[in-house]
Amino acid sequence: MTPPRRLSPTPDGPDADPDDRSVPLEAYLGALATLDGMGSASLRTLLSLGSPSEVWERICRGSVDARLRNALAPVARDASGGWAAQARSVDPVALWTRWRSRGIGVVSIGSPSYPACLLDDLDPPVLLFHRGDLDALAHPRVAVIGTRRATGYGRRVAHELGLDLASAGVCVVSGLALGIDAAAHNGAVAASDRALGSTVETHVDPSVSGPTQAGPVAVVGGGVDAPGPSTNAALARRVVDVGAVLSEAPPGTRPAPWRFPVRNRILAALAPVVVVVESAERGGSMLTVEQAQLRDRTVLAVPGPVDSPASAGTNALISEGALVCRGADDVVSALGLSLEGVANSPVANRPEPDGDAASVLAVLGFTPVSIESLSRDLDLDLGRLSVALGRLEALGWAERRGPFVERVARSDGGPRR
Amino acid sequence: MLAIAHSATLIGARGYPVRVEAHVSDGLPSFAIVGLPDASCRESRDRVRAALLSSKFVVKQARTTVNLAPTHLRKAGAGLDVAIALALMVATGQLDAELLDGHAFIGELGLDGSMRPVIGTLPLCEAAGDLRPVVAHADAAEAALVRPDARCARTLSELVGALRGDLPWPDGEPRRSHGSGPPDEPDLGDVQGQTVARRALEVAAAGGHHLLMVGPPGGGKTMLAERLPGLLPDLTDQAALDVSRVHSAAGALEDTSRLLRRPPMRAPHHTASMVALVGGGSTVLRPGEISLASGGVLFLDELGEFPAAHLDALRQPLESGVVRVARAHVGASLPARFLLVAATNPCPCGVGPFGPCRCSAAQIQRYQRRLSGPLLDRFDLGLWVDPPPASDVLGQRSAGESTAVVRDRVARARERARGRGVSANRQLRGEALERAAPLSAEALAVLRDHLAAGRLTMRGAQRIRAVALTLMDLDGLDGPLDAERVQVALSMRTHAQALGVAA
Repeated sequence: MTPPRRLSPTPDGPDADPDDRSVPLEAYLGALATLDGMGSASLRTLLSLGSPSEVWERICRGSVDARLRNALAPVARDASGGWAAQARSVDPVALWTRWRSRGIGVVSIGSPSYPACLLDDLDPPVLLFHRGDLDALAHPRVAVIGTRRATGYGRRVAHELGLDLASAGVCVVSGLALGIDAAAHNGAVAASDRALGSTVETHVDPSVSGPTQAGPVAVVGGGVDAPGPSTNAALARRVVDVGAVLSEAPPGTRPAPWRFPVRNRILAALAPVVVVVESAERGGSMLTVEQAQLRDRTVLAVPGPVDSPASAGTNALISEGALVCRGADDVVSALGLSLEGVANSPVANRPEPDGDAASVLAVLGFTPVSIESLSRDLDLDLGRLSVALGRLEALGWAERRGPFVERVARSDGGPRR
Repeated sequence: MLAIAHSATLIGARGYPVRVEAHVSDGLPSFAIVGLPDASCRESRDRVRAALLSSKFVVKQARTTVNLAPTHLRKAGAGLDVAIALALMVATGQLDAELLDGHAFIGELGLDGSMRPVIGTLPLCEAAGDLRPVVAHADAAEAALVRPDARCARTLSELVGALRGDLPWPDGEPRRSHGSGPPDEPDLGDVQGQTVARRALEVAAAGGHHLLMVGPPGGGKTMLAERLPGLLPDLTDQAALDVSRVHSAAGALEDTSRLLRRPPMRAPHHTASMVALVGGGSTVLRPGEISLASGGVLFLDELGEFPAAHLDALRQPLESGVVRVARAHVGASLPARFLLVAATNPCPCGVGPFGPCRCSAAQIQRYQRRLSGPLLDRFDLGLWVDPPPASDVLGQRSAGESTAVVRDRVARARERARGRGVSANRQLRGEALERAAPLSAEALAVLRDHLAAGRLTMRGAQRIRAVALTLMDLDGLDGPLDAERVQVALSMRTHAQALGVAA
């Protein structure tokens, strides 16, 4: 979709790159990252030996002394015995060329395209692999995170947040996991779809529409070529199309458990505002929150039912003083922006329905309801109800999904339901 | 010497005539049955021998060969026993050959010489053709459904006596007239509230549209499904015969005194094997549940618990109305024109996305992946069924229409469909659907909006038209489809997210 821009790798290979000297540097860094158990900290430790190419040479020769080895992270230390054999079977330049030809870019901490927002972090990643357009990070950024075991409520809220924030020009950063992550990214991707000439937006006055919507960014634990669980593969492709997928792990890495907490620190580092939609009292999202607190990020939590285990963590955060997130407006004000004039809100100039359609709309919330219960509550027969729903669909107020109806737009100024 | 007796054997739901040839000659005493008998058929040898002795007939020590022609057909079951015994008696000179002429003998023998009923009497008697079927006394009523001239006997000696003219042919059992009123089908009037669900049942019955019901346990899915067969009109004569034949072939005909007139309902459990569902078996080729449901309703409760392969095996029969079961030696086409009604919980814990669901996202996805897209596509109607509020259950609303009222409407709608050359609107495709269901200007605008917004595929739009046409038929309306029926059809359709779970 988005053509590769300045920062995106071109398929021409390293020879076409004007900055010829940076190519081997990142190639060797990338090759180092492919070694078993290699994480950011270990990579940094190794780089104390010299330039990436020198380190690579020494590993190939097997001459890394024991003192340095002991300074490595445990995972890396355990795996370091096999590094020499592994390194001798890899040609860093060929590897690098192959990545670039597959549209995978590599940026290291020194290079000009390295995300500026990570430069002054506590623990910036030495190396980042990416697909898609890193310019997405130039927008204001918000991390939307939460549990994989999300409830319908959490997924709905996350989807709405993703949609509204992306429409308001905010870059939604998340982890592309199941549950909340996927819902938030789906929402953000849907915002891009809407902006690309969708019929839903026909009622929006073009003069009111604010800045263009922002693409989402996913930070994943595994390789950027197959990020996230396979059920999210289609979503991952859409994120690459309209935004970017980042990872510290080289392509082809399967996400080992230790990579997720490491990934969470990048999420917290990228986003000045972190929204937790649903989380149990312990879990990956809480680790991200810890990372965010280390960095003095603003943490918002979405309140949930007090008896829902999936909201136990978020409710606890609120009681500890986190800001309450009731919707995109709260997030945007936490960012210090105003939704006015920024929001590409889908409500503008939508004609109010009348007759049956008005009474149906009055009882429709953002929670899907079955047509059966609507018919019962309103005492409307199926024919009149269906015509009213058709009218609401035509005006863009509601949508039928099989036997369910869901409101898709809210009224001006009215209370959120 | 050589003797011939006629009989028939069953493959799938069809009988095939079989010529039993017996040859008795001098030589080492032996008894062989040739001509592709299966195990139960080969065991005839011992049954026939014992039955002849018990009936005080002679079993000659000689070289005996029984051939079952045509030899390329597999013969299964014990239905050839009587014919083999009679052929042997003729071959050993105990009975005159011409006494067997013009008869086809269908029955199993007990060691005491009694004649026992067999499975599939109805199709076997049909296969007798010009010959007059002779069956066990217990099968007489069933045989008389298709062959009023059929004869019967209780024992082998009674049969031989009747053939010789020494004894009168016994009468079949007098027809027991079970209560002539409609059998006790549950009434739609018992359903409280659930107006949309009731309407969907009516549309499914009238248009033959397959129906998927999703909802938490206790919502009344099974109760609704049980009321669907009652809405279907009585079977026509031809359909009644077809349905009865399949039930007879499966040994599932309970009341043998008359043809099945009410559409059957089958509700196989989700642990049913593929063969039990689709039909088959290595030699016999029994009709499966989908054939037994032919002409009626196949209800798959807990659709999500059925193995995916079993469900996908239903797709082809759903389209063609027949299932062709093939094995290495035999093949049979069995009818499978059924109305599919399925019910499923939205997720393994059953609560669904609007309650305190305890399932993980992965569990839900695994559950929903069982239902392949192509299968979900076959359901024209989708319904969310959750328990109605207490006020409805306690009867504070007026009761809905009874089954009889709705069945009349359904019958009239089916009548209109027959005028279009199909038995139900679901079978209208492409050109025929265009002709039968032109769209009014407003209806066209509605469909065009949905197509443009990507909420509807072309295929989905065709299904909407068929359902809208059924709605017009039920309301007795002619002319192009109006916008209201199209909107109602849109309210009742299934969706890729039919299980109601977003993202």
